[in-house]
Amino acid sequence: MARDFKHLLNDLKEVVTNSARYAAVEIMNSLAEQGPAYSGQFSSAWYAVEPGQTPGGPRSAGNNIYKYDLRNVPRTKFRTGTYYEIVNGADYAPQALDLEEGRFQTQYDDAGNILEPLKTPVAVGTRTGAKRGQVSNGEGFAVSTAPLDWYVTYTNGGSMQRDLGNGVRIGFRQGPRGGTPSGTGFS
Amino acid sequence: MNYQAIRAAVENPLLTAFGSLVPAVPVYFDNITAVPPNTTTEYVRVNVTFGITNEPTLTSSVDNARGAIVIRVFTEKGKGPARNQTLITTAVNALETLNNTAKTTSGVFFRVGEINGPTFSATEDAPHFVGRVDTSYVATVLT
Repeated sequence: MARDFKHLLNDLKEVVTNSARYAAVEIMNSLAEQGPAYSGQFSSAWYAVEPGQTPGGPRSAGNNIYKYDLRNVPRTKFRTGTYYEIVNGADYAPQALDLEEGRFQTQYDDAGNILEPLKTPVAVGTRTGAKRGQVSNGEGFAVSTAPLDWYVTYTNGGSMQRDLGNGVRIGFRQGPRGGTPSGTGFS
Repeated sequence: MNYQAIRAAVENPLLTAFGSLVPAVPVYFDNITAVPPNTTTEYVRVNVTFGITNEPTLTSSVDNARGAIVIRVFTEKGKGPARNQTLITTAVNALETLNNTAKTTSGVFFRVGEINGPTFSATEDAPHFVGRVDTSYVATVLT
């Protein structure tokens, strides 16, 4: 049965809000999977916020790569803004994103043993520069769990646009009248 | 897909641009260890990464790749930003020439997107002042 035209504006708002939420989830999951993960904390610190808002810190102490869902992007947060930023709230985010240089150290447990990284390293060996991903395979204890410039590659290499498109597609499909047979739309 | 041709399309103009400066500035590409990090010698590091390959497009060509180009310019710390910005300008000019290349029937058709930056940073430990620009690219292999 056709839906009354008076619902169009609200339904459209609902679809747009949900599309933004689904897109944020898709993008944050990709960032968590493609980014570095030694303990897993960094992967849990992605937030979708309005410009100027402060993100929270890591959501978990680590031990796994965080999996985002719609609960991480509450509907109320997506009603007031006109655009959103996806940011990482970890203190060391600029270094993890390979945007700034840093000082990196081997991670030890309480017994003094070297902690194994959560994610399979892309390089283990010697540090060739002050960026996180500047590690070349060979002798040494420096570990990199994501390629150098992984973040720029994700945002510029087409993957983020693909995730954005997927999120919007899901949002429209899940929205009011989404996936309904032809002839049953608004009238 | 000819990744090497795509890489060459980016690297050659940058190598030529920095090589023609007086004095020439060394450029280091992926998988080449740069000068020791404790030296104050200026140099340029270029990283070319690949994102999505053969993304379906509206054209018949599927031999395309998208990715990112990150250029970092290392100059002596504590001497102001001028020299670094001069070298960044050389890099940006070289990138812009890629967009002026006409499409032919062979080779690689290359287009870069908007250029982010430059951003500048320096840490206490490192002896360099670092300028950075990055951009996206779309490359189509025509042969």
